[in-house]
Amino acid sequence: MESTAAMAAGLTYLRPEIALLATAALGMFAHLFLKRHGARIAGYVTLLGLLVAADIVFLTPLSPAAGFFGGSLTADRFAFYFTIIFLLAAAMSVGLAFRFFEVQGFEAGEFYYLLPLALIGMTAAVSSTDLIATYVAFELFAIPSYILTGIFKKESRSSEASVKYFFLGTLSSGIMLLGMALVFGLTGETRYAEIARLLPGANARIALIGMILVFAGLAFKAALAPFQMWAPDVYEGAPTPIVVFLATASKAAAFAILIRLMVAVFAPFHASWTQIFQFLAVVSMFWGNLAALVQTNIKRMMAYSSIAHAGYVAIGLAAWGEGASIAVLFYLVVYLFMNAAAFSLVLLVRKDDGFGESVDDLRGLARRSPLAAASVLVVLLALTGIPPTAGFLGKYLVFLAAADKGLILLVAAGALNSVISLFYYFRIGRAMFMEDPAGEAGEKPAFPVLAVLVVSAAVLLVLGLAPSFLMNFAASAALK
Amino acid sequence: MSLLGIPILTFIAFFPLAGLPVLLALPGARKTAIKVTAIAVAAVELLATLYLLVGFVPSNGDMQFVERADWIKAVHVQYLMGIDGISLVLILLTSLLTLLAVVSSWKAVEHRLKEYYLFLLILETGMIGVFVSLDLVLFYVFWEVMLVPMYFLIGIWGGERRLYAAIKFFLYTLFGSVMMLVGILVLYAHYHTFDVPAILQTGSLLPAALQTWVFLAFFLGFAIKVPMFPFHTWLPDAHVEAPTAGSVLLAGVLLKMGTYGFVRFSLPLFPEASRKFVPLIVGLALVSIVYGALVSLMQKDMKKLIAYSSVSHMGFVTLGIFTFSPMAVKGAVLQMINHGISTGALFLIVGIVYERRHTRLISEFGGLSARMPVYAAVFLIITMSSIGLPGLNGFIGEFMILMGAWTVNPLWAAVAATGIVLGAAYMLWLYQRVMFGKLENPANQALKDLSLRELATFIPLIVLAFWIGIYPKPFLNLLDKPVEKIVRIVNPDYYKAADASLVPAANEDRR
Repeated sequence: MESTAAMAAGLTYLRPEIALLATAALGMFAHLFLKRHGARIAGYVTLLGLLVAADIVFLTPLSPAAGFFGGSLTADRFAFYFTIIFLLAAAMSVGLAFRFFEVQGFEAGEFYYLLPLALIGMTAAVSSTDLIATYVAFELFAIPSYILTGIFKKESRSSEASVKYFFLGTLSSGIMLLGMALVFGLTGETRYAEIARLLPGANARIALIGMILVFAGLAFKAALAPFQMWAPDVYEGAPTPIVVFLATASKAAAFAILIRLMVAVFAPFHASWTQIFQFLAVVSMFWGNLAALVQTNIKRMMAYSSIAHAGYVAIGLAAWGEGASIAVLFYLVVYLFMNAAAFSLVLLVRKDDGFGESVDDLRGLARRSPLAAASVLVVLLALTGIPPTAGFLGKYLVFLAAADKGLILLVAAGALNSVISLFYYFRIGRAMFMEDPAGEAGEKPAFPVLAVLVVSAAVLLVLGLAPSFLMNFAASAALK
Repeated sequence: MSLLGIPILTFIAFFPLAGLPVLLALPGARKTAIKVTAIAVAAVELLATLYLLVGFVPSNGDMQFVERADWIKAVHVQYLMGIDGISLVLILLTSLLTLLAVVSSWKAVEHRLKEYYLFLLILETGMIGVFVSLDLVLFYVFWEVMLVPMYFLIGIWGGERRLYAAIKFFLYTLFGSVMMLVGILVLYAHYHTFDVPAILQTGSLLPAALQTWVFLAFFLGFAIKVPMFPFHTWLPDAHVEAPTAGSVLLAGVLLKMGTYGFVRFSLPLFPEASRKFVPLIVGLALVSIVYGALVSLMQKDMKKLIAYSSVSHMGFVTLGIFTFSPMAVKGAVLQMINHGISTGALFLIVGIVYERRHTRLISEFGGLSARMPVYAAVFLIITMSSIGLPGLNGFIGEFMILMGAWTVNPLWAAVAATGIVLGAAYMLWLYQRVMFGKLENPANQALKDLSLRELATFIPLIVLAFWIGIYPKPFLNLLDKPVEKIVRIVNPDYYKAADASLVPAANEDRR
């Protein structure tokens, strides 16, 4: 048994999580007990809490290599890297939520404190080095996600999305749990390090099945085809600020768990999972991009686009090695900003009593708000993978890693997909710059939306021109 | 060499961007100020590129003004720039044509001026960047950066079918470029550097099979840009719909990037594969020459006619390059310049009547020489330059290419020569239909002749056309060394034979 002292020592590494928990509690009390503006104040509390948590993340020491809490959690640079990604995603999501609820005339305070709870699940999931801890953490961020998806009660699409997400999500975590059970059955261990030691001696076929089942569950969360079918419906139905969070942080968390499992547990099966990821990459890229071609609803289009981008990340997983480990981490940060901006596009234009979600609603934006249009243009270039944006460099690094491993056809498939994606991304570019607005001139974009777009565009440009800082950071955080 | 403390190549590559903050700061209503700013930036850029001539040593075959710094150290990407004579002439062509394009837009473009000049200046940075980059990734970055402003120039200020033409242009060329990117990555997997001079320095080639594939990947990128038959279908659409300035730069500079890519990268990096694919590429070049010319004969729209004539002319350039004889390669590079001059001017010429009449249909015109004598004279000179009349620039380039081709395979020269005949036919016929005859269409009665500003855009082009036609030596001097260097890699037998017979290789060069 652990001594109390060791437990207390372990808690020091959990300071960011404790801060998030406190944020959630404070937000909840604010929402419940303040009569006027309770929900909005809960929002400010959360935003402040995220800021504090981000500070604490930087002040929290790294744990020893063996981890803490008996080796079931670790606070390494890898977890640190992803925690930053999650906090950024959450901050953008909260900012956008202010605008979203304001326009919809309905403020769901629950949103503001469910979000930090989901964050705790994510940070725990990327820190965990134990099957049980991983599973619990995974559910800890999955369950708030289901609720968040359905939080917009007056919109039936939102409830529908929530139910779909819940059923398919539970199914997939069940599949993942089955895989974990097989691995546990083979080795009698739940800690990654122990499993990695025992697995090579175990029945390889059952171990492989276990691995595939676990990866399938995670591929579902990462919306990799053929496990993507929930994504378009859920992203279209869920409130946009939540989509921003789900499409970026939740996916990044799934990839982080996947990477840790690949490296720490299933390394002996390298040859197998390389092939699995090649398959997932090709299917996701083509499925995502081809399906996106025919969409007119931006949220749905970007849902498919995010499936395709998960495919690009999977190229990096298939080409795993020193280069790829950095490339994937780099790409996930780029991905965060590209997709946060891509989904927040929907909040630019008001239509009826909600937001204009169709590509046509963006017509003439370049006249109305040149700054917003220019930012969106940078984001679109990044999504397509055109220099000098970070979207190009992200793809380039992933492709480079794959070419180095001799996966030329995979690279060619990825390159070809950039061309396909150009076609639908630039339908948005065309609407903004080349077409005249349909009706009366709309209002100027609201501050939070504009801020997310401008910041994302600026980050994408800066990272595209001077990537070394992030690459060094990623290199230090990469799991070898 | 440096300008204002900035290394010269960095300066010329990024100076056009200096106009951006000024343009952004100007209120949209101050149209004249916006136009003047753009002209000033383009003019300073031209002067800066001319300043290159001061420090440039033509007798040195190596890259000059080299700038080298780490860009993305982890993956060995460098900020590596340098130019030789080939890049130099293309840079000068670019800065000149950009200035003319900007000046020619004075009246032609009246809405969304700020964005228009913004995109033109970004485009200039992209174009110059392509010609100065020696690191493959840096090259690729500029190569792609160029697509975006051109997409918007066509899509916003283009003709009726501009949306279609713009995305078609973007999709085709992006497809070619990403395939080239795959080639670049494979190249890196072999050499572990993107530094082209360093790769050439090692003298080691890719294994034959790999070389073939990488060559094809690059070829796709370049051939779409040139464009060679059968990759040319984006060109007529893009040209016809683009605004005049867009057409001038598209035909004058962007097409050259394909053939520049052949000369700079394909030949020296993949000599074996280049030799292996000569039959295919020369075949496609000859088809482009004849097909482009025949299709030009059929056109009713002036811009479309000139667009297809570009396919034919660029076929000549490709033919010259893939003969691997120094004379033809030099002729090909010179012909790139010539085509930039004559076709750039032709698009300006069409732009002038289009601005006045808002139609480009040949049948709408006729007898214009009576109303517009100066215009008629300019048009005539440029027509002659385009069809290769001796004494004008087109003749020198085509002659050198044909001479070179003849020594390798007389049949190639014979087929290509029919292109010249057809070229004379469609150009003269165009001239006749537009300029001569009776002025019957009442809408043409009130046409005004060239204004001073319009005339000014043609003067440098006409001067250059005569200069190259009468005294091409200064231009050829710039090309001697770099072309020799490339031919020595791709066709070493040529110099072996020359050295063995103790006849100085300069024999060829002294024309």
